Amino acid sequence: MAAPFQRVRRGRIRDHSPVLDIILYLSMVIALLVCVLPFLYIIAMSLSSSQAILNNRVTLWPVGANVEAYRQIFAYPNFFQAYQNTITYTFFGTLIALTMMTLFAYPLSKRALKGQKAVMRLVVFSMFFSGGLIPNFLLVSNLKLTGTVYGMIIPFAINQFNLIILINFFRSLPEELEEAARIDGLRYFGILVRIVLPLSTAALATIGLYTAVFFWNDWFYGLIYLESRLYPVMLLLRNIVNGSAMVGEASGVGEKSSVAIAVKSAVIITSTLPIILLYPFLQRYFIKGMLVGAVKG
Amino acid sequence: MERPGAKPDPRGKRPAAWRRYLGVHWELYAMMLLPLAHLLLFKYLPMFGNILAFRRFRPLTGPYGVSWVGFRYFEQFLGMPDFWRAFSNTLTLSLMNLVLNFPVPIIFAILLNELRSLRFKKLVQTVSYMPRFISTVVVISILTELLSPSSGALNRLLQSLTGQPPVYYMNEPQYFRSLYILTDMWQYTGWSAIVYLAAITGVSGDLFEAARIDGASRFQQILYVTLPSILPTIMVMLILKVGYLMSLGFEKVLLMYTPSNATVSDIIDTYVYRMGFASNTNQYSYATAIGLFSGIIGLVLVSASNLISRRLTGESIY
Repeated sequence: MAAPFQRVRRGRIRDHSPVLDIILYLSMVIALLVCVLPFLYIIAMSLSSSQAILNNRVTLWPVGANVEAYRQIFAYPNFFQAYQNTITYTFFGTLIALTMMTLFAYPLSKRALKGQKAVMRLVVFSMFFSGGLIPNFLLVSNLKLTGTVYGMIIPFAINQFNLIILINFFRSLPEELEEAARIDGLRYFGILVRIVLPLSTAALATIGLYTAVFFWNDWFYGLIYLESRLYPVMLLLRNIVNGSAMVGEASGVGEKSSVAIAVKSAVIITSTLPIILLYPFLQRYFIKGMLVGAVKG
Repeated sequence: MERPGAKPDPRGKRPAAWRRYLGVHWELYAMMLLPLAHLLLFKYLPMFGNILAFRRFRPLTGPYGVSWVGFRYFEQFLGMPDFWRAFSNTLTLSLMNLVLNFPVPIIFAILLNELRSLRFKKLVQTVSYMPRFISTVVVISILTELLSPSSGALNRLLQSLTGQPPVYYMNEPQYFRSLYILTDMWQYTGWSAIVYLAAITGVSGDLFEAARIDGASRFQQILYVTLPSILPTIMVMLILKVGYLMSLGFEKVLLMYTPSNATVSDIIDTYVYRMGFASNTNQYSYATAIGLFSGIIGLVLVSASNLISRRLTGESIY
């Protein structure tokens, strides 16, 4: 018995090859830096004095720190408006999407329900083939939703991928709980609200996060559906970067372009901040929610 | 209905059973009503709207056009060099992206799994998932700043090291594909690794134990235990990725698109967008025809890859 045991130990000792560990940790540290450094660079830019930016003295730490750029963007009325618009789209969009998808997913999670298979097939087919850009646009515009807040919210209430995550999650819940609730006299609505939803916080947080991020990050539908008063902040950012990039690049070096760089950086940071702040709180849910949802039903 | 002595009447019995079924389950159907209507309205009506590809569009007359023109718009775009440029750009960029970015998350997941410190592993995971949640606009804005010819970090670095004159990377066609692929790598490596990490976690510890007893080094364990164990997952992911060859990150390409890099950056989706919205006259029918064409190729690819996946591995998205 002693010999194999020893061999195991020897194997373990060889496992602890320090060279391998150093390479491993080094590559992971590099991966971490690659993820984080671009943000540090932009933060440094947004907080630096234009003189320092002009002289190329800024790398990863603010030089001549000031919040002038942030003061400027908050004085810019369009920015405030756009930020407010994005918050509206994200809040109501996510709320409506979660409601609609819950109401859809719960009946669809009942395999025995008549017609469930047919509806499921409709859902799945629409994942692989869609109307395409122009027919979608024409539909939204013919429904008179373009140029309105609703155009940014209602068409996106159902995302089939998220719906299927939710359906699979509902299917993974123990059948006995519902059975017991039914014996206690609860009907489907009661079961959904009082039993199923409280058990589904992980899944709802997961698809809620995906949905909120979708609404927060959208700029393209804003571009084709809306007029500038209703623009979301990402579209404004894209326009600022487009517009001021030309000013900056064209005039080469100068006070104007370096201010533009600080302002652009400040917009990038302000528009991303909510996601970066929200993310650590939600991320513990989403791995769990996603993996359960991914189990094929 | 179950009155004793009543004649069995199959025609009368059926609606009763049906009504009784609804009586028990009507709430489930009621819940579905609104979402199902939404699905039909926003997903299926636009599919029907694709008939615009065969009809002439006139403004203010509704989304379905005014008169049939057959395959005229298809013949039109099939004869356009611009279309074929977009077509080959789509496939080239997709294939390059697949070949270069498919293995990276697998390697990342394996390396991550080798980390001994759980806390460090968690940190790397948390940080590497984050870019997936960052808006494409922000990613491209940061990229534009980093690569700016006047103030960008890369040009400054290269200039001070080698004295190389500034390059306008975002505008030069030869850098477009690398930049697209690198930003994809930056954004999605951590996120795509989740699937493989889950697969590795599912590998039985006995296998590693046995390999260790046989004297396998860590590298050999990866090669002979980890990789073969997650091969089914890798296969499924590869097949599914091939199914989505026609769909690229359209928004990112649109954000990176400039007239000077159009030779490589004009893909089918941006071509449709330009024809539909960004040209002087909105050529809705023409653009719809191109969209339909690429949508059908996409549907065929996805169905075929699903079928192959199901045959080979028993797994498919559906």
